[in-house]
Amino acid sequence: MINESKNSTHLLSDNDMVDFIINGYLVLDTEIDKDLNDSIITQLNQLDSNPGDLVTESIPDLKKVYNNPKVKGVLSSLLGSDYSINTHRHCHRNPPGSKSQSWHQDGGERERHPNQISNLLMMYYPQSVDLSNGPTALIPGSHLLFANPEVTASQGNFKHQVIAEVPAGHVLILHYDIWHAGTANFSQNNRYMVKFLFDRISESNSPSWDHDPNNLIDVTLRIDNSPIIGLQKSLTNKVVKLRREMWENISGSNNTINTRIGGNHYFDRFSGPWPSITPDGQKVKM
Amino acid sequence: MTTKQRLLYISSETTHPASPVLSMAIYEPTLGSITQIDPKNSIPIYESVHEAQIDGWRVIHFPDQKTAESFDVIGYQFILEKLEEFND
Repeated sequence: MINESKNSTHLLSDNDMVDFIINGYLVLDTEIDKDLNDSIITQLNQLDSNPGDLVTESIPDLKKVYNNPKVKGVLSSLLGSDYSINTHRHCHRNPPGSKSQSWHQDGGERERHPNQISNLLMMYYPQSVDLSNGPTALIPGSHLLFANPEVTASQGNFKHQVIAEVPAGHVLILHYDIWHAGTANFSQNNRYMVKFLFDRISESNSPSWDHDPNNLIDVTLRIDNSPIIGLQKSLTNKVVKLRREMWENISGSNNTINTRIGGNHYFDRFSGPWPSITPDGQKVKM
Repeated sequence: MTTKQRLLYISSETTHPASPVLSMAIYEPTLGSITQIDPKNSIPIYESVHEAQIDGWRVIHFPDQKTAESFDVIGYQFILEKLEEFND
């Protein structure tokens, strides 16, 4: 969950942006009031069929979600202030007893650009979502990888998966390529999630978020050193390279990080006390 | 009673059987059995392939040493089996 923005335009901070680059998602409380959420649920329940891309024509109140100032601040930060909303949107109605999806990236076989933020998904939940009614599952950091759904089909729970339990009115904002799945609905009610897509229109020339150049060293250190959790170690170099490239692409600068890191932050991780041996034979640096 | 094959798919951090589990799924040989992401119970029952072996599972597929270059795979996949008696 991101911290409350300190500025009036609800732009993300450098720290928020690095979190997004590393994890590929963020959770946002839109503070949409309960009456509006409840009204949207009522209207969704009254739909005789799935309106597909026309869901916002069927329920104009949904436009209030993506026109929310906090949502606009986040989207502007990640895609640039001239971002656009895609004409595709989709209402997922998961009835009681529905099963889990397999892990997948949206978009099928489309070309992917894991070092960019070109498209975002926004998942809006008009009702609270907990473990019982079909929360969305995510694999943090997986937006930097190419999934083959035929291979991931046999993979069940990931040890480091995130289950997005959110109160009503919250949205998930996701890198388009993140691996995700809707999970089983064990409750007695429909679980709704309305998905919107947003597109970057122009290449970035400068940071579109609440950026402070004085943070660049901390940004670099986080991008380089934040652990690769839940993936095999052999992907580390690839992931760190893509994180760096993503930061540079959305910053509109090709050398922001490289010039800053130079050799100044090298540290010799092997120096210091000799390691000791644990009872099961592992070497541990004290 | 019928002897049937239970399957356990484990993706590990390395090809070493003692390396940490990244993902796990059990496929039961019973009609209507469903294997799916379970948000209520996402902690793996074994921490490693080795722990599963100790519990009686046999490895029947070892992970490929080279992954496809066109896509990424999270973890090195072992497939294990356990033969057990089932009431039909």
